Amino acid sequence: MMDSLDALALDAPKHGLTGPRSEPTAMPVTEIVPDHKLVAFDAASVWQYRGLLWVLILRDLKVLYRQTALGACWAIAQPLFTVAIFTVIFGHFAKIPTDGAPYALFAGSAIILWTYFAEAVRRSATGLVTEAELIRKIYFPRLVIPLATVVSPMVDFAIAMVVMLVLMLWYGVVPSWHIVFAIPTLAVTAMLALGVSLWLGPVNVRFRDVKHTLPFLIQIWMYASPIVYAASIVPDSVRWVYALNPMVGLIEAFRFAILGGTGPDVFALAVSVTVASLLLLTGLIFFQRMERSFADII
Amino acid sequence: MSMAISVQDIGKQYWRAPRATHENSLRDAIIEGARGLVTRRSEARPSKEGFWALKDVSFGIKHGENVGIIGMNGAGKSTLLKLISRIAAPTTGSIRLVGRVGALLEVGTGFHRELTGRENIFLYGSILGMHRHEIAEKFDAIVEFSEIGDFIDMPVKRYSSGMYVRLAFSVAAHLEPDILLLDEVLAVGDYTFQKKCIDFARRLQTKGSTILLVSHNMFSVKTMCERVIYIKNGRVAFDGPTDEGLHHYERDSYLADAPWFKPEGGRHPVEIREVTIADESGAPKTLFRHGERMRITARYTAAEPIADPHVLFSVTRSDELLCCNFSTMTDRAKLPTLSGEGTIELLTPPLTLTADTYTVSMVVRQRGFERLLAAKVGARFHIEHPVFAPDVFGVFHQPGTWAADPAPHR
Repeated sequence: MMDSLDALALDAPKHGLTGPRSEPTAMPVTEIVPDHKLVAFDAASVWQYRGLLWVLILRDLKVLYRQTALGACWAIAQPLFTVAIFTVIFGHFAKIPTDGAPYALFAGSAIILWTYFAEAVRRSATGLVTEAELIRKIYFPRLVIPLATVVSPMVDFAIAMVVMLVLMLWYGVVPSWHIVFAIPTLAVTAMLALGVSLWLGPVNVRFRDVKHTLPFLIQIWMYASPIVYAASIVPDSVRWVYALNPMVGLIEAFRFAILGGTGPDVFALAVSVTVASLLLLTGLIFFQRMERSFADII
Repeated sequence: MSMAISVQDIGKQYWRAPRATHENSLRDAIIEGARGLVTRRSEARPSKEGFWALKDVSFGIKHGENVGIIGMNGAGKSTLLKLISRIAAPTTGSIRLVGRVGALLEVGTGFHRELTGRENIFLYGSILGMHRHEIAEKFDAIVEFSEIGDFIDMPVKRYSSGMYVRLAFSVAAHLEPDILLLDEVLAVGDYTFQKKCIDFARRLQTKGSTILLVSHNMFSVKTMCERVIYIKNGRVAFDGPTDEGLHHYERDSYLADAPWFKPEGGRHPVEIREVTIADESGAPKTLFRHGERMRITARYTAAEPIADPHVLFSVTRSDELLCCNFSTMTDRAKLPTLSGEGTIELLTPPLTLTADTYTVSMVVRQRGFERLLAAKVGARFHIEHPVFAPDVFGVFHQPGTWAADPAPHR
């Protein structure tokens, strides 16, 4: 990691305290003009600041469980308790059908992915406002903030994944080679979370209402996704509408990757990939269009 | 020499007062929008004109030049720095920067309270645009410069404010940019640390760095910059040698509201018309000998009767150090009710301040500290003395009474 950073360091002139100074011609030139372009995606500046991206991710991780007695155990405790509650209520009381899998594993596999998605959206959409002081006083490509906050919950995801595997062994279920599908599924989920946040983040800068709407939105979205129940119990007549929710295909695919069983609905999965890509692309344009005014209105 | 910073016809328009608090919810926007549909546009949005925080600002700064930006509060100095540092986008015009830019608009923004000093050096350094290997290389120098020592592995929330500021400035100072933008940041820390910062900035300059400094502190502008740009109401009012620029600024700032003063509802219940400085006999002058008494006279107009006024004259040194206060409250002087026009006069004791330039500010309050009525930057005066200079003798000098016993008691 560090070596590649060295090799790709900025073309800024390097000079020690005593060394001779580079010629002005070698200096980077910055042009600042009012923004009139519709699409002004500046990938190079984000790339220049990739070091900051990494540091922000590390900061979030270091800070999250600091000064807590249980530390990183929280990353285990939260999904574990959710799984336990869901198992008792939906598995034992309501006896929701799970296509054969033990309910704890059935719910757990979905909760892991959902928790990642919900956390990524929550942190990422409100991240700009959380970093308001930075935005007001320091220049850096603002895109770094949603990027970092989409990546950092992946660590909690990884921890939860280990817990999930332990839980599976407890139930005597051994994952098959299908588990490799978990990685592309997570990647598309991250894209989706980023796409949603790129739209919500700038709106939240202007209207803090987003912050208050978000918990609702995430909760409704959760029940609209096959987490506590299987997508197969959705009536066929509304299934195509149901599958327009991009998380449907992703959760099913993820559950398939971990627990096996019938393969995911290809239509639903295609919807997920398409929606995630579209949101991400339009989100990038929207975000870059808005970011130059963040410091003025945040 | 080529240009490090070229600013061409820059303008910055804000549509409303920046960071309006009450218009930040969606509901207000919807109501506003709905009202816009019913009423005519021009009626619905009288405030939509916006105001220009900066207009038609142009200048060029060469490599290796140190330039101070001065101006009153709200003149647009900080907005200018925000545009040059790319934090905010200009409405019109263009800026061209040649070289690596380091901007320090506020010391310590970006620090995380829960992280240790060591972790914060890496965090803050990255935020300022340094690469990790670069920070690692300069790490020891940063810690040494900050004088933090063993506290480096303690969370910064346990630091004193002085330590916090020292560490933050040390990181920023080691950025070694080609163009350094500073906003009021040298006004932090104690005197010795400030001196260290100024020395550091000078060293950067000798290596060819360009420094753009926004400051209220005329002392640091004077010591660091050979040229000043004086911004007045969003436009360049003066651009040239420091002494001349400061002269313009000081002339304009005479009887300006003190930088920290926010009049209640924009009203000035007491208007200070004039503050004059004279010697004991009443003859106006601004150059005083060490140990002379001074007569300060203020002419005021009170829009409403002010019973039991508390009047304060403060004396501030050129580096913004508050040297002394003369207060009717501490002196137990009861002034009559202020109404209409009148004057207030103070005869000071012999001033034993060391040789420097000082500013007299006047503050009027009502009944203790309840209501602030006026705060004006008043006249300037100089104290002369061949020996008693502030860098050696401190703030004031008075002779003491000495005794020595040649044969100490055992």
